[in-house]
Amino acid sequence: MTERQVQLRLGVGAIAMALFLAAIAIPNWVSSPSNVGNIVLSPLFWPYVLAGFAGLTGLGLVIAGLREAAQDPAPETDDHAHGPAWRRLAGMAVFMLLTMYALPRLGMVLTTMLLFAATAFLVRTRHPVTAVICALLVPLVLYGFFAHVAGVAIPQGEVIRLP
Amino acid sequence: MSFLDSLAAGLSLVGNIEAFLALFIGVVIGVIGGAIPGMSATMAVALTLPFTFAMQPITGILLLLGVYKGGIFGGSIPAILIKTPGTPASSATILDGYPLAERGEAGRALGMALWASCTADVISNLALILFAGWLASFALSFGPPEFFTLILFSLTIIAGVSGDSLLRGALSALLGLLLATIGLDLVYGTNRFTFGDPNMMGGLNFIAVLIGLFAIPEILAMVWHPTAHVGKTRSLGKNWVSFADYRRSFKSIVRGSFIGVFLGSIPGIGAAPSAFLSYSEARRTSKNRENFGKGEIEGVAASEAGNNGVAGATLIPLLALGVPGDVITAIIIGAFMIHGLQPGPMMFILNVDIIYGLFIGLIVSSLFLFMVGSVAIRGFKYVADLPRRILIPAVLVLCIYGVFAVNNNIFDVGVMFAMGWVGFVMMRYRVPPAPFLIAFILGPLLEDNFRQAMLMSGSDPTILIRGPITWFFWAMTVVTIVAIVRAGVGAFRRGPGRGRAPEA
Repeated sequence: MTERQVQLRLGVGAIAMALFLAAIAIPNWVSSPSNVGNIVLSPLFWPYVLAGFAGLTGLGLVIAGLREAAQDPAPETDDHAHGPAWRRLAGMAVFMLLTMYALPRLGMVLTTMLLFAATAFLVRTRHPVTAVICALLVPLVLYGFFAHVAGVAIPQGEVIRLP
Repeated sequence: MSFLDSLAAGLSLVGNIEAFLALFIGVVIGVIGGAIPGMSATMAVALTLPFTFAMQPITGILLLLGVYKGGIFGGSIPAILIKTPGTPASSATILDGYPLAERGEAGRALGMALWASCTADVISNLALILFAGWLASFALSFGPPEFFTLILFSLTIIAGVSGDSLLRGALSALLGLLLATIGLDLVYGTNRFTFGDPNMMGGLNFIAVLIGLFAIPEILAMVWHPTAHVGKTRSLGKNWVSFADYRRSFKSIVRGSFIGVFLGSIPGIGAAPSAFLSYSEARRTSKNRENFGKGEIEGVAASEAGNNGVAGATLIPLLALGVPGDVITAIIIGAFMIHGLQPGPMMFILNVDIIYGLFIGLIVSSLFLFMVGSVAIRGFKYVADLPRRILIPAVLVLCIYGVFAVNNNIFDVGVMFAMGWVGFVMMRYRVPPAPFLIAFILGPLLEDNFRQAMLMSGSDPTILIRGPITWFFWAMTVVTIVAIVRAGVGAFRRGPGRGRAPEA
């Protein structure tokens, strides 16, 4: 990505966010009592101020982006940004969603064991055996610390129950 | 309470093996965390934070301070040995450290880095002890209008100096401020962006946001490019730093330490600009200035003194005013809050034993840093050989346990994942995450103090300029904005791609 693209995309995104906040999000999702005497004390005041500043910052970014030369070279090479990289990233997103689904059902220990192994293989580890051993041990050690030393009620799930 | 009484109270709090052991372990974790490229001192402090929940407040905070101190030094090890700074603050160390390593004098460079770091650390800690109490007693007269102007000034600096683009820094800070509005309104108790979900009513969990912003993006970056971390480690060589080297660089070390103390005590500037300023001052005044950049030992000393001089000084605004000086102190402020402590001027009255306990711990931490650092220099090879593609999944699992442990709430894990993706997008678009996090912490304080001031005055805005303290902070805010805008306009006139501030 060139500097110009970065600035323009961020600027447009910030303006869009500011418009969304001002037109939809703040009126619908911020409630304010009807008897607020002064606007500056209203719960709406601060979000509107921030939305306004976000819009102005976005405008500044767009202007700065337009000022950048179109033929600016990319400040960093992105050779690895191809199909497999995007697929790995999508895979990680799926793992995170599955983790959220599995945490209350399988328990934290089992879920994190699976997540550890899956992530290690997703990043193409050169030590698969070590990865599997660590996938078993790390969650158990952390469970031991948090459940028995820190007194945290780690979710146990419906499959296995640890002491 | 006299100084000696306070000191005795502090000593009684930390005068046990548990506290010093926590500090020592913290320094070890910090040095290792800082030495692993891509891990950073910030991530090390963030990942250690959940382990402090079960500890006494002073023990937990000393553990984190140990990680902080160790992490700042640890970052210099990969900077010298593999030309990859473990922390942004170590970027200046590369300039002369790596050429020395290429000449087979890595051991000498690392030794000087350690000696300079420890010297700067002691100076910085003494500055903290001398100035924090004085500043806190001054800040006792602050009311909501004074705090509002102080926080506004801090935010201006943070947004202005925390990246290679002012506008991206400002956008990051605005996102943090917006995220901080989620939850029940502090005055009227009405909902703001809670969508009726009880999990959102208390606002987003600070630990989930910070781990999401600083640890998860590194994991996603590894997923995106699994081989980005591969680097070649240089051997230590046979030459070691001598006392003559140290004596020759002493002036630069002391100057760098004072630069670090000065810049560190201003919220938001951080260690990297301090290291570069210290380096450039050393180069400007040195007899060997032509050797700088080619492997000058004084250059390593100046950079390390600059970045370590910040470490104690960033705690001055944290302890005295309750305003974090940089990202790591922003995390440490979270640790204070989790343990029911509110840093700020009142802490010097209500928890003076903790304050002096921390001072004692910080002085001892310099000694521990010297001991651990000496071993770490020789042991770096083993740290560098840790397979990162095993380490990263372990960090992910640790993040999940740590974030869950704050409130025993799976929702927080979801917040961490979501913030991780936000952080990754910010990383891709080169938006600095530091202003986001600091604004997320300062946002509620800013709004709270503003609204309290308005309630006090019956909505009369002149209360915000009611006295010399508010005038001072308004003047500083205006001066900062003018300086930033002038720098921006200058860069604009010179043309695109020029005149950017160094990366923080």
